[in-house]
Amino acid sequence: MRVKVFALSTCPYCRMSRQFLDENGVAYDVVEVDKLEDDDKQTAIAEVKSLSGGTSFPVIVVGDEVVVGYNKVRIKELLGL
Amino acid sequence: MSAPETGAPGAPPRRRFPEGTTAEDLKAYMGPFVERLGYKFNTDGEFVAMVLEGELEVLATTGDVYCPCRMRTGDPKEDVKIICPCIPFFRDEFAGMRKCWCGLFIRADVEDGAALMGVIAEPEGPIEVPVARVDDMRDGEARRVKVGKTALAVFRVDGEFFALSDVCRHAFAPLSEGWLDGHAVMCPWHGWRYDVRDGTTDHPDADVRTYPVTVRDGEVLVTV
Repeated sequence: MRVKVFALSTCPYCRMSRQFLDENGVAYDVVEVDKLEDDDKQTAIAEVKSLSGGTSFPVIVVGDEVVVGYNKVRIKELLGL
Repeated sequence: MSAPETGAPGAPPRRRFPEGTTAEDLKAYMGPFVERLGYKFNTDGEFVAMVLEGELEVLATTGDVYCPCRMRTGDPKEDVKIICPCIPFFRDEFAGMRKCWCGLFIRADVEDGAALMGVIAEPEGPIEVPVARVDDMRDGEARRVKVGKTALAVFRVDGEFFALSDVCRHAFAPLSEGWLDGHAVMCPWHGWRYDVRDGTTDHPDADVRTYPVTVRDGEVLVTV
C-alpha cells in the first residue's frame, strides 16, 4: 500500500509519525512542505488542503485513506499493524 | 525577512522575541499568559522542549512563533490565530480536549499531560468545560458557548449561573440572544419563555435541556 506523509520540518507530530512508520518498517514518501519553494510549495499546499480540508500537519495518506494528525490507532488499523 | 524594528532612534526594538531568543525565554513569556487562561505547560518536559524547538525554527524564518504544525495562509487576519499560544482563538475546542492542539499546553488541573497526547477528538462521557470567569459576566447577561457540536446559553441571574441548550424548541432561535426577566428568558424571535433554572416552558413537550453548572476558583464550569 502506498504511504505518503505531508509534513512540516518544524512539527513534532510529523517527526513522531515518521518515527512510528520507520520503527514499523513501513516504506513511505515524505514531502516537507515548508522546505519546498514557490510553485512546488503552492502545489503541495493545495494538495494538502484538498486531501484534509485544512493545513494542519501531518497529513498521512494510506492508499485511499487520509489521516490528519499523529493518530497512531488509525494508522495501525489502515496498515494492518 | 527584515525585522519589524521601527520607531524613534534609540527606542527599544518592537520585536517580541529578539535574536537569540531561547526556549526558556518563550516559556517565561507564555507561562503567565496561559495561566490566566487556565492552562499550563505540558507536564511532559521532553515534548515541551520538542515543540518549543520547532517554534524557535519558525521564529527564525518568520519573525514570530507561529504554530510549528500548521501552515501560514499569508492572510494576517487568519495567521494571527496560529501564533502560539493559540488558546484564545480555540477555547471551546480546547476545553473539550483539555489541551491545546499540539498539547504544548494542558488545562491547569490535568496532572499527566502525556496521557492526553494524541487525543485529537473529544473524550467520551460528560466533561466539565470552563465557559466564563465569574467576573466576566454581569447579572442579567447571557453568553453563547459552543462545546463541540453543542450550543449552550449561559446566563447569570442574581450572582448564580445557569446553562441550557441555546436552541429554542419553537423555531431554533438562539436563546442567548433573548431577554431575561428574572429567571425567565424570552426567546428573541417569538417570545417563548423558558425558566433558566430547569429549562421548562409553558408549551407542552418543549422544555430545553439544562446542564449542571459549578463555580470553582472564580471559573464557571458547565458539565456537558
